[in-house]
Amino acid sequence: MIRYTAKRILSGIVTIWFITTATFLAMHAVPGDPLMNDKAVSEEIRRNLEARYGLDKPLSKQYVIFISNMLKGDFGISFTQQNRRVNDIIREHFPVSAILGILAVVIAALGGMLWGALTALYRNRLPDITIMFLVILGISVPGFVFAATGQLALVHLNAMVGTTVLPVAGWGTFTHMLMPALVLGLGTMALLTRLMRTSMIDVMGEDYIRTAHAKGLSAQRIFLRHQLRNAILPVVTVLGPQIAAITTGGFVVEYVFAIPGLGRYFVQAVQQLDYTVIMGTTVFYGAFLVLMVILVDILYGLIDPRVRLST
Amino acid sequence: MTTPILAVRNLAVEFDTFGGVVNAVRDVSFDLHAGQTLAIVGESGCGKSVTVQSLMGLIPTPPGRITKGSARFMDQDLVTTGAQGVRGVHMGMIFQDPMTSLNPTMRIGDQVAETLVVHKQYTRKQAQEAAVSLLARTHIPEPRRRAQQYPFEFSGGMLQRAMIAQALACEPAILIADEPTTALDVTIQAQILELMQSLQKENGMSIILITHDLAVVARMADQVAVMYAGEIVETGSVTDVFYHPAHPYNLGLQQAMPSNRHPDRVLEPIPGSPPDLFSPPTGCGYCARCPHAMTICDSHPPEMSPIDIASTHEARCWLHHELAPSENNPVRPSS
Repeated sequence: MIRYTAKRILSGIVTIWFITTATFLAMHAVPGDPLMNDKAVSEEIRRNLEARYGLDKPLSKQYVIFISNMLKGDFGISFTQQNRRVNDIIREHFPVSAILGILAVVIAALGGMLWGALTALYRNRLPDITIMFLVILGISVPGFVFAATGQLALVHLNAMVGTTVLPVAGWGTFTHMLMPALVLGLGTMALLTRLMRTSMIDVMGEDYIRTAHAKGLSAQRIFLRHQLRNAILPVVTVLGPQIAAITTGGFVVEYVFAIPGLGRYFVQAVQQLDYTVIMGTTVFYGAFLVLMVILVDILYGLIDPRVRLST
Repeated sequence: MTTPILAVRNLAVEFDTFGGVVNAVRDVSFDLHAGQTLAIVGESGCGKSVTVQSLMGLIPTPPGRITKGSARFMDQDLVTTGAQGVRGVHMGMIFQDPMTSLNPTMRIGDQVAETLVVHKQYTRKQAQEAAVSLLARTHIPEPRRRAQQYPFEFSGGMLQRAMIAQALACEPAILIADEPTTALDVTIQAQILELMQSLQKENGMSIILITHDLAVVARMADQVAVMYAGEIVETGSVTDVFYHPAHPYNLGLQQAMPSNRHPDRVLEPIPGSPPDLFSPPTGCGYCARCPHAMTICDSHPPEMSPIDIASTHEARCWLHHELAPSENNPVRPSS
């Protein structure tokens, strides 16, 4: 298990380096200059920045400067937002995105497994057909539609009850998080439901389930001890990329619910070609994604002995 | 003879499929006596697995259902009770492919122990200890270490041993073995069969052995039931069934099998194929392939009838009827 984990971490580091380099090259391949846009900075600041990041020097030189700064844990200062360090932007806004994302993933994973297991148990009967119809909605309707609908529902709910049950937008308390997290997790939940359903149905037909029946175990015990764990495996596999996608892809939902997450800064930085913010957020997101995939790999190893012991 | 431990009478099982209703088992009756081994033989699709699975309540319903018959075991009809409280406790079962018949994400020891926890209210610790000794009894080397391993770390033969350990955990009166050696190498086959025999000697259980391997039958069985097209067509002791075939199908099987005593004999396959069980024949199921078929065979199903009053030998064939010709009658004991 230790070797297995070490291997995952090592390959994760290589991946992060690759993401860093690729982003650096791609960013510089885009025509334009962060210091030349409409909100032009003063000549003095411009010269300071150029000197600090070697912007007047060849790309290879800039790369070395960037990498050495990054290894020290310093992503630099934003080019467009005066006096804001990238580290501070990440520190202030990422926790918001992360909490929202984690909550969304928890809702999606629990919901997906529950609905998936239910549909498999009631295969081709009314609960299955109803849920699978909703699943198709969940997969095909874009997130911002759910976001707006969810908000509208909250408005009506609050009006009906006469007091604020759940706030419509904003950030701060747990009640603020529920609706955006649900909206953010819906797509993934739908996906996981489908996956779980297929996987459960596959497992039900396995020989070892027949063996479990032959052992005289109760249906409940067979479901909990034999079916569930084997059926979860494929679901866990896709969970890693889904966690990263949710956490980094919450931009639209953050925007609709006026949540001060990192996604907004990320998109803004790309529009304004804010070198340091782009690099900082991308590398950070990349590292986060890699970390999540590693965590899921380890989790997978814990669930499936074949993975744990064969590597 | 003593009262049988398991008495199956007129069992019939059918399945709904897209193609219609399949009459997989049409009329099966047999007795199993304590401490004996009954082998059910027959070709693929003749209903032998379905028969024992229906005894264990393992027929998925729907699409399958038991339409008639009874299976009496310890004052209980397995057909009406669905074998609840019997399977796993008084009847253990092992399957054809040990590689897929054990849960891949559960330790071998836990899987063996599970039956004891559920049925005998053992604590986890007691059950684990019992599982280790069960693995030892089925001759798995280093049982304590092996109990901590997962199925993928076992070979096929070892897995079948673990399956046997699991099936025997609650000391069942009957072990049902559904083609237990089909998926194994020949040398491993012999070991598994030997193991089953020695365990039977130790605890006096009865065995129902499903197989299509006549060599296995000759080696293991006390009684044999030959199945064809969802029916038992001949039953009797091993000697009776092998040396005095009373049904033309059994006769055909014997002639299709190589023998040490007549090494030069040309093997004769049985022509044709079994009848379509979507619409079972009105007469005898073997009629179309039978070289000795008579007019009546096509229209009237024969009944199971005793061949010899002194033995348990019975066959389902019109050739044993008093009106059947005695000249050139292949199955009537020559007089």
